[in-house]
Amino acid sequence: MSVEAVQVALAAEHAAVWTYGLVSAFISVPQQSASVADGANAHRARRDVTERWLRDAGATPEPPAAAYLPPQPVDSATSAIAALVAVETDACVAWRGVLERTGDGALRTSALDALTVSAVRATRWRKAAGLTPTSIAFPGAGVG
Amino acid sequence: MLLATATAPLAVACTTPPPPPPPPDPLAELVKAALSDAALATAVGAPETAAVRTEHAVRLQAEVDRATPRVPGSSAPPTTTASVAPPAGAAREALVPALQAAQKQAGDLVASVESHRVGLVASVAAGCASLVEALS
Repeated sequence: MSVEAVQVALAAEHAAVWTYGLVSAFISVPQQSASVADGANAHRARRDVTERWLRDAGATPEPPAAAYLPPQPVDSATSAIAALVAVETDACVAWRGVLERTGDGALRTSALDALTVSAVRATRWRKAAGLTPTSIAFPGAGVG
Repeated sequence: MLLATATAPLAVACTTPPPPPPPPDPLAELVKAALSDAALATAVGAPETAAVRTEHAVRLQAEVDRATPRVPGSSAPPTTTASVAPPAGAAREALVPALQAAQKQAGDLVASVESHRVGLVASVAAGCASLVEALS
């Protein structure tokens, strides 16, 4: 049961890695470029850890898709940031899904960390986009 | 006949000693922290934080109430959401440490809490982290 949820989380991490790569060309504010680099590194690391967890559980990690569809075509800084808000929000949902499907303390701790850092980055990009409210009351709950 | 069978268990219930009180619900502590943060946020003029922590308190209290066994014969809910007075001399600088403490408090329960509660508790922890980022 938790293997399927972790595969969903892995898919969200693949999408995040792909999207951070896609948007980097559209973001030129230095502080935001640094945040893009941080986010890309964090999702790559999370992807690798997640693949390792699946292999250790005897499962074959799902490979990434060839491409992912952002909520709107990415052709500007604004649409790039919207795509980042979307992938971080999706990652929150996927990792909360893992939490709800495992009683394993170590996996829960790791999933909480993934949920938390994605919630923080989603908030950072919401702030950059001028979205209100800036914060997310229940990250991963699928609403707000 | 029907009446007799219906009243007999009641009579037993009234004469047996009350069961020991259930152990305190760990989520009740999260409710207290959320209400205290909401009061602090209101006092220092951080309405978004106040709104989110109030929502946290409401959802957590709803789960505490759902899980708390009702004492037979009592109709009132076993717990009520007490209002928390804003602390005197509240400072905005106190808000971020309070939210960080609340994030840790909820996060510490995640490894062990029942699976039907873990999503809510984890979202409260991540929500506190989101509030800290929003305030930065």
